[in-house]
Amino acid sequence: MAKVLIPTPLRQYSDKLDSVELSGATVGEVLGELTGRYDELRRHLYSDEGKLRSFVNVYVNDEDIRYLQREATPLTDKDTVSIVPSIAGGAHGD
Amino acid sequence: MIRIEKDAWDRMVAHARSAYPDECCGAMLGAIDNSHKTVKVAVELENAYQGERGNRYELRPEDLLRADREARRQGLDLIGIFHSHPDADAYFSATDLKNSCPWYSFVVLSVKGGEFDHAACYLPNADQTAADSEELVYPN
Repeated sequence: MAKVLIPTPLRQYSDKLDSVELSGATVGEVLGELTGRYDELRRHLYSDEGKLRSFVNVYVNDEDIRYLQREATPLTDKDTVSIVPSIAGGAHGD
Repeated sequence: MIRIEKDAWDRMVAHARSAYPDECCGAMLGAIDNSHKTVKVAVELENAYQGERGNRYELRPEDLLRADREARRQGLDLIGIFHSHPDADAYFSATDLKNSCPWYSFVVLSVKGGEFDHAACYLPNADQTAADSEELVYPN
């Protein structure tokens, strides 16, 4: 069972849990399990086309899955999955 | 409504002033009680934007991940992001909106001539097409 850490504002959709233990051999399977259990999380993490939203990054321990095998990244019971947004901005653009 | 405690606010303003004329950025840690948010700790993060940082900022996701871990370690939650607008008002720009995330409160500090001027807080929507204002309370 891998542990998925839930960002604070999304805990309202995960029965207020700050982490959830889920079974799954890959990141994709675990996230599928997560959004299957907590349906409201799906629209926050995935676009209507079923892809992870552009600002959503997923880390396995300290590694960004884009530099691993993306959603096919294998997981073990000791792994922790974190959901981290991309954030930028600035006064430019009014 | 989001209220920022004095120690956290002092750090945010000091970070904005020291980064001037560049934009600063950071994370706000605290607690949420229904719709009332309290910021207890401000964490300065590096502006990682590769280019002119006078009107742009970028957070490294790894830095945000560390801030989230720090929050959990202290029994707090990561509840918001702050950044500064040097010599500009505390509006939520098109750039802010396009690169935002709907999960957090976004505090913008206006710094004019190197001194804090005013601040505002925003809640962007999931599609990054609009941001509502959120009532912001900070020490004078």
